[in-house]
Amino acid sequence: MKKKYNRLIMGSAIGLAAIAVAIDHTRHRLPDAESPKTSVEQSDSSEESPCSLDESPCSLDESPCSL
Amino acid sequence: MNVSTSALKPDQSVAALAITGLIALSLFLQHEFSLKQSILFLIGIGLGISLFHALFGFTGGWRRMIRERRSADVRAQILLLAVTSFLFFPVLGHVFTGVEAHGAVAQVGVSVLVGAFLFGIGMQLGGGCGSGTLFTVGWGQVDMLITLAFFIIGATLGSAHLHWWTALPGVGKVSLIDNYGWLPALALQVVVFTGLYILARTLEQQRHGNVKSLLSGAPQSSISERLIHGPWPLWWGVTGLAFFNLLTLLVAGHPWSITFAFSLWGAKIWSALGGDVLAWPYWSAGYPARALSHSVLADTTSLMDFGIMSGALLAAALAGKFAPESVLKWKRVATAVIGGLLLGYGARLAFGCNIGGMLAGIASGSLHGWLWLVAGFTGGITGLYLKVLFHIDRPFGRS
Repeated sequence: MKKKYNRLIMGSAIGLAAIAVAIDHTRHRLPDAESPKTSVEQSDSSEESPCSLDESPCSLDESPCSL
Repeated sequence: MNVSTSALKPDQSVAALAITGLIALSLFLQHEFSLKQSILFLIGIGLGISLFHALFGFTGGWRRMIRERRSADVRAQILLLAVTSFLFFPVLGHVFTGVEAHGAVAQVGVSVLVGAFLFGIGMQLGGGCGSGTLFTVGWGQVDMLITLAFFIIGATLGSAHLHWWTALPGVGKVSLIDNYGWLPALALQVVVFTGLYILARTLEQQRHGNVKSLLSGAPQSSISERLIHGPWPLWWGVTGLAFFNLLTLLVAGHPWSITFAFSLWGAKIWSALGGDVLAWPYWSAGYPARALSHSVLADTTSLMDFGIMSGALLAAALAGKFAPESVLKWKRVATAVIGGLLLGYGARLAFGCNIGGMLAGIASGSLHGWLWLVAGFTGGITGLYLKVLFHIDRPFGRS
């Protein structure tokens, strides 16, 4: 396989992965549009959650290594 | 792997793009989450650079040991296990007060035995292990993209079945540190490492009449130039990997781990396609459930995996070796598919790959890590015989 085709494939893969990550990140950060009350609650929890997720694996003795 | 050690011109455009992307993502992580997430991404980059420049692979090393009785890579792996244990045991033994870290201690049972065995076969068929698949993808090897894709599928399937496997007989979690104390446990492991090192060395000496040094590939250029552009001698790789693994333990609170992220990515994709992964026990509670319900960038293993691939990409560009030419034949595609599935499924059953299961397990004094090593290596031997059987590799004993 020629080097430039390899680069094209790798570039496409990186681009696709970046789009998938962006969609996933946005999906989890956007508030639910269905109910204003719910959306406020979810927005609050999403503000806190990355930190709690950050701290939880080990404080709860749940490292991803042993899962 | 086609590896040339001759000096190549750095790929400046790819290197510039990679550096820009890495800086942007690390700043974004700090802005969106915390400095900790950004640091973990940077640690992943360090691991990726170390893996690429030292060409530190478990799969090729086991292959060379089993087929050719060349032991340099295996001895480097034993050194990595020993050095990482030396660094981890005092931390996990709570010698340093105020340091909160947990080792990778998982249950010993049929699940690990079968999982590591399948993983060992998958390593030889797929052409990479957990770390190897990531850094070769970052390197730009197109065939490893196929292995990675099916690695993810296998890991997702494994997460669907894990509850069944963990219900099979086992003896529960066994921590040598908890049972004997960190110093006696470390002494015990050092005895085993020494025995394995001598065994590997002796086998090579008997076959070849000489033993290849771990210092081979000694610097022909200045240290700084070699540090940036490579290649590194194996012991540099050992040092880099052990150092960044310790940093991971201190910053993340758990050892370096890879394949949880693969299950997570697969589960997220399956979920996005309409699949109900929450019905699977694995994703219904605890850390996996929380990881599933948050951004992939909040998961430390995903971040570090992105870092490893990015670091390897940068290192490959600096070495002028990004996206090497390759010929993709149907047999290679088939082995990448089957190998990838076995790698993923096996890693989930064995509570991690050669990094999160074996290296992290052994360096945490967990008996499941040692079981992983024995079962994984046996799987590696089986995988190599299967390759001969299906005419993918030449028969043993033929050069």
